[in-house]
Amino acid sequence: MALDNTLERSAPPIFRKGLSATTKLVLLTLMSIVLMASDHRFKISLPIRASIATLLAPLQWLSLQPANAFSALGQYFDSLEQAQDAARQFQTRTIAQAQRLQQVEQLAQENAQLRELLDLRKQIHGPASAVEVLYDTSDPYSDRIVVDRGQLAGIVQGSAVINLAGVVGQVTRVYPLVSEVTLITDRNQSIPVMNARTGSRHVANGEPYLQGGALELRFVPSGTDVKQGDLLTTSGIDGVYPAGLHVAWVSQIDRRVDSSFARVQATAAAKPRGRHLLVLTPVKDWPAAPVPPAEPKHLGKGRTLAPLATGGKP
Amino acid sequence: MIMPAGTPLLLPANPRFMALTLLLALLLNMTLGLTGWHWMPDVLAIVLVFWTVHQPRRVGVVLAFLLGLALDVHESALLGQNALSYVALSTMAMAVQRRLLWFPLSEQALQIVPMFVFAALLEWLTRLLVQDAWPHWSQLFAPLLQAALWPLVGALLLAPQRRAFDPDNIRPL
Repeated sequence: MALDNTLERSAPPIFRKGLSATTKLVLLTLMSIVLMASDHRFKISLPIRASIATLLAPLQWLSLQPANAFSALGQYFDSLEQAQDAARQFQTRTIAQAQRLQQVEQLAQENAQLRELLDLRKQIHGPASAVEVLYDTSDPYSDRIVVDRGQLAGIVQGSAVINLAGVVGQVTRVYPLVSEVTLITDRNQSIPVMNARTGSRHVANGEPYLQGGALELRFVPSGTDVKQGDLLTTSGIDGVYPAGLHVAWVSQIDRRVDSSFARVQATAAAKPRGRHLLVLTPVKDWPAAPVPPAEPKHLGKGRTLAPLATGGKP
Repeated sequence: MIMPAGTPLLLPANPRFMALTLLLALLLNMTLGLTGWHWMPDVLAIVLVFWTVHQPRRVGVVLAFLLGLALDVHESALLGQNALSYVALSTMAMAVQRRLLWFPLSEQALQIVPMFVFAALLEWLTRLLVQDAWPHWSQLFAPLLQAALWPLVGALLLAPQRRAFDPDNIRPL
């Protein structure tokens, strides 16, 4: 404190020095590296994250208020005509969808009957809950959003998130009050898709370097039938995304002579994301794990082998 | 007490004011982050370095670490990424603290640039090692803007300490 030119009233302690600066630096650096490793490799840092997020929730709410006030002000000064226009637009859209909706009812019934006839598994849809986007995370290396519902509202990690146009992303972290959704355009996110025209299945990965965020299909053999403008929908084999949701439109195909794979790029269908999203809780309708039969005690070797041989894997 | 010639003696810093400015800087950082522009200066880093330089007994490495963790969770970045860069920043600020106070604010800004650049580099390197992710080019401007904001933030934060020692009717503040 020799050079701090203030009228300091308290003298610095002489004997109580605490840890030295170097020790503190080394300790805290090690601690952050351990935290990073636990976050990236072992995925065990969620409790720490959740507690910090809960402490931070009031501050986050406060930091969102200027933007909210701004948009509220904008809405207040929106003209009546614009509101009427929007209402009319929604009405025409609803009418246009009405015919399709009625057909869907009939088709769903027909489909259920056909599936029953063929003895296929039933398609079950889980509960859905509407959420609102709070903010886009400002980390420049990932593509995530934070939504306003969390564990307390029954959001489950791994749920699919959709909007009007198609799949938006997947819930990757659930905190008590909010949850984080990784968009399908994030570099670490992949989604199983099906080409709606040909029925071929692929895996689409996020490709943030492309203009405006896009998806890339990995390991598509160069001879595959894929055209520009093909619709990619969820294939439903993962048990996370319900089948048939729109994911992306194929935008560019690059077949090279020297490679046995084609580079296929697609633009996400749910590009203007909007404020309101729907979280679809995945339904685990997998068959239950086989329970090993209780082994009878004090029996000879030959007799215990017999039930094991018949009761193998289903 | 050795002091640069001609500098006024300052009032002691109010710990409550320091806490309030750090909290406001965190809020401002969160609000600016909503814009989605990568070149936005990290206001929290500026305020943190400022208090580390001026009040090293009160604001230190541990507080920097905790604030970094809070930012990590808010940004949903890798847990510990911002914390590591803030710890490095705070340690460097401690190291140059005695020398820095000999200079006026505008010249301090020039000496601060390498610190902010190093902290940003550390963050980029972390993500490059962990996720193979390259930074956006516009992120280059953030450390420079932070240094450019240094004189302004410094003048604002020092203003309460520049008030008169014995306020009277002629000089009430």
